[in-house]
Amino acid sequence: MTVTVEDRAAPELGARAAPARPRRRLKLPGFALAIPAWAWLFAFFVAPVALVVWFSFGYKPGIFGTHANDVLSLDRYAEALSPTFFSTFQNTLWVGVVGTLICLVIAIPFSYWLAFKAPVSRRGILLAMVMIPFWTNFLVRTIGWQIILAPSGLLSTALQSIGVLDQPLEILFTRTAVLIGVVYNYIPLMILPMFVAFDRVSLPMREASKDLGAGRWSTFINVTLPLAKPGIIVGILLVYIPLMGDYITATVLGGAKGNMAGQMVANQFQTAQNWALGSAMAVVLVLTILTTVAIAALLSWLATWPLRARQRLVLGDKS
Amino acid sequence: MNRLSLTDISLKVWAVIVFAFLFAPIAIIIIYSFNEGRLLVSWNEFGFGSFATIVTKPAITDAVLVSIQTGFIASLIATALGTMAGVALARRAGKWAPWFLILLVLVTVTPEIVDAVSLLPWMVFLGQDVGLSMFDNGIVRLVVGHSLFSTAVVAYIVRSRLIGIDESLEEAAADLYAPPFKRFTQITLPLVMPAVLAGGLLSFTLSLDNTIVSAFVQVSGTTPWPVYVLSAVRSGLRPEIAAVSTIMLLLTLGALALVAYVLRRAGDSATDIAKTVGGG
Amino acid sequence: MSHENPVRILASTSATKMIKSELNRRRFLALSGTAAGAALLAACSPQSGAGSSPQATGGALEGGLSIYSWGDYDDPDVVAEFSDELGPTITFDSFASNEELISKLIAARGTSGYDIVVPTGPFIPQMIENGLLSKLNLDLIPNIADMDPDFLGRDWDPTNEYSICKAWGTTGFVYDTTKISRELTTWADFIDAAQNEASGRTSVLDDPSPLLGIYYWANGIDWTTTDEADLAAAEAFLTTELAPHISAFDSYPGGAAIPQAQQILMQSWNGDARIGIMESDEPDRWQWVLGSPDTELWMDNWAIAEGATNPEAAHAFINYVLAPDAALRELDYIGYHTGGAGIEEAARAADLEMLDLVFFDEEQIKTMHTGKLTEAQQRIVEIWDKTKAAAGA
Repeated sequence: MTVTVEDRAAPELGARAAPARPRRRLKLPGFALAIPAWAWLFAFFVAPVALVVWFSFGYKPGIFGTHANDVLSLDRYAEALSPTFFSTFQNTLWVGVVGTLICLVIAIPFSYWLAFKAPVSRRGILLAMVMIPFWTNFLVRTIGWQIILAPSGLLSTALQSIGVLDQPLEILFTRTAVLIGVVYNYIPLMILPMFVAFDRVSLPMREASKDLGAGRWSTFINVTLPLAKPGIIVGILLVYIPLMGDYITATVLGGAKGNMAGQMVANQFQTAQNWALGSAMAVVLVLTILTTVAIAALLSWLATWPLRARQRLVLGDKS
Repeated sequence: MNRLSLTDISLKVWAVIVFAFLFAPIAIIIIYSFNEGRLLVSWNEFGFGSFATIVTKPAITDAVLVSIQTGFIASLIATALGTMAGVALARRAGKWAPWFLILLVLVTVTPEIVDAVSLLPWMVFLGQDVGLSMFDNGIVRLVVGHSLFSTAVVAYIVRSRLIGIDESLEEAAADLYAPPFKRFTQITLPLVMPAVLAGGLLSFTLSLDNTIVSAFVQVSGTTPWPVYVLSAVRSGLRPEIAAVSTIMLLLTLGALALVAYVLRRAGDSATDIAKTVGGG
Repeated sequence: MSHENPVRILASTSATKMIKSELNRRRFLALSGTAAGAALLAACSPQSGAGSSPQATGGALEGGLSIYSWGDYDDPDVVAEFSDELGPTITFDSFASNEELISKLIAARGTSGYDIVVPTGPFIPQMIENGLLSKLNLDLIPNIADMDPDFLGRDWDPTNEYSICKAWGTTGFVYDTTKISRELTTWADFIDAAQNEASGRTSVLDDPSPLLGIYYWANGIDWTTTDEADLAAAEAFLTTELAPHISAFDSYPGGAAIPQAQQILMQSWNGDARIGIMESDEPDRWQWVLGSPDTELWMDNWAIAEGATNPEAAHAFINYVLAPDAALRELDYIGYHTGGAGIEEAARAADLEMLDLVFFDEEQIKTMHTGKLTEAQQRIVEIWDKTKAAAGA
């Protein structure tokens, strides 16, 4: 099949018509495929967040003004870190750390069971069952807890009837309720990566350890856990970070006691119209999260230093 | 060897407890969706009234439709962008890769409230000051807000999946003179299809559930479901909310079963699927 | 390509077609470029300040209507009837405080999508000044004649150019008589109970001004004060003496807290308390107390937001709801005086429940004071913020 292109007028008029040159394949640079994602994220994430950081150096110019940046200062940060608001950040940190730890404690035995002890044929269904609560609306699940924990609710009547309590359960609107709520909402995010990580630790590895005389517990600590470490870390991060920013669960279940940093930021933007202060609080929140993660990473690195010094063999596959 | 040790029994008991914990509120919501009272939280009597009310309350059906519509579009965008980015990261990682990964990490690490408070002024700026009136459109705003985190998630999942598969198939295709585009669509894409599907499903779920960003950027008239529930929490929850949740749960289960079936047919075991979603 | 100075081009026949399309394309691009530029300039021009001319002219009603109001503030039956008779489907969104309403309108700058908004009186002048409200076309609201003149022409809008009274009410509190055996009658009693029997089971309104009001009314201070000493005292009291006992900031305890008995002591608005008590399984358990020796008199108003996309429907709805029978049903549902002429007689004749929470006598009304938006507003909101933070600690 030959295609002939004839165009005598082409050269004088700027060669807009189909040229007779051979087609050259466009050689795209390696990152070409990533450009759309990059552009999208830049336009709708980097730019707005940069704007927020910019706002944080401004001030509130009057009753109905939201922000002004003609005078730049760090005053909003001083305000955000003032004792009253600082206590909210502390509260958030407490809920974040304790919540993540509780998730960890609940998830490790569960994921272990799912990866090693559960019947393999049933695994798909079991995993789906873990994820199903995640597929329901997050607020609705929290409301479900509100019903369960209400003074006139099921848990209260159950505990009263078996005699553990002598008056209606007063757990709602306390920090305990907040912990229950956040742990519940984020635990599938801990279980899933942990399961994947445990699953990676192949059976022969553990059997070899047992053959070499290590007890069950010792195998777990020295072989299974270290190999599963990447997954555990992913789980911790996947839970800790959203938990720090979440405030809805805390408000619904904890009322005033559920005042988290996210709620404070939201207040500034939704009611107080003080975008400058809200932006400063938001920046402080992000920095708090990053700092705690960095500190935790440093601590765990330091803690395993003596162990690593002792290790002669590097077990397992690297990835 | 098969003797059940104390550890095994206690692990099993623990698993049962965890499942009970996971399903308690879900069960409660399903039960309370049959509550005939005016308030969701005070049980009155058993009945199907709340399901009937859904049909008569256009606010509810509109909210659900908006959520589903936004979910589809947002997950399409996130999957497309994320897949391409993931493939690029896995196959053509160069000097640019660490920077892009940092961007993805930043997107993941930023709490949703920060996203929300930054997107609203930005969208108003784009819509009013720059004049791009499409940003005044509720659905556009919601889709943009939902797609950010999802793009990062899909990129990560696809990258993880593809890194585990070595390049020999694509190299073979290249040796056989397949042009790059064909290589991408006929070799690479099918290889990562499970990851793409898992990513798409995850994006859809995240979009359906997205509350905070939606609450900030939404325009009245296109209120997504979670924001409707959020405002209902203030003025007294009705049983219709539980009823809609029950229906949505059933639909989600159906969709999940379908996806699992498709993936099974593609040869993946349940563990592989979980691994893909978990970022294996 | 103007006709005064035609451009001549010498070219081969086959090229003419291409030249023509090229030039057409350029003209199209130029035109659209100018259009875009003009649009950009138009969009960039600042919004007009003090409210533009009314947008509704009595034309056909649009298909939808968006109302941004306080929670559960309209009888669903009345709303449904409006939609059936006149067409537009109505969507509601709610806020918990005027600050939230204003915040939303300012952040959205006309793109919020809301048509009708319901601000409280004192905030209206500033909203008008900042271009958040648009004028009403009173010709489209003839039922304004059914309003009691006492409730029209208030000092924030003397000619009702921008707003019409929707409902007025007051602030008090509700307590659980099974948990608190003594009788509470004043704000001082409220504070005392909050610090003792109801500690950790007390909720206050999620609204900055009435929160500070608790302190001011209990101590005989004018709650519209701008004196920094008063504000500092209020802050100290709220953050150190009241906040530790507060378990929730809830503007609508009638929605869930009262029926579910979530708290023992709840600051609330009268109509909301009435709804809650009526909905509760044990109405006798709850006792409503009008705040004394002083309390608030607030009046919420119908207003139309600047940038409303359904102005005809908005006017039609306001008119519909001001009609006497609709007003009576609204009163029964929301529990507030809607400002209609002769509505108290009508309510008593219709034998509606719990009217002592809706209508007040001269003595009581003397103790109610309207609020004012002062330059202390920012400070007030700051105190509210700090109280919330202190309560969460």
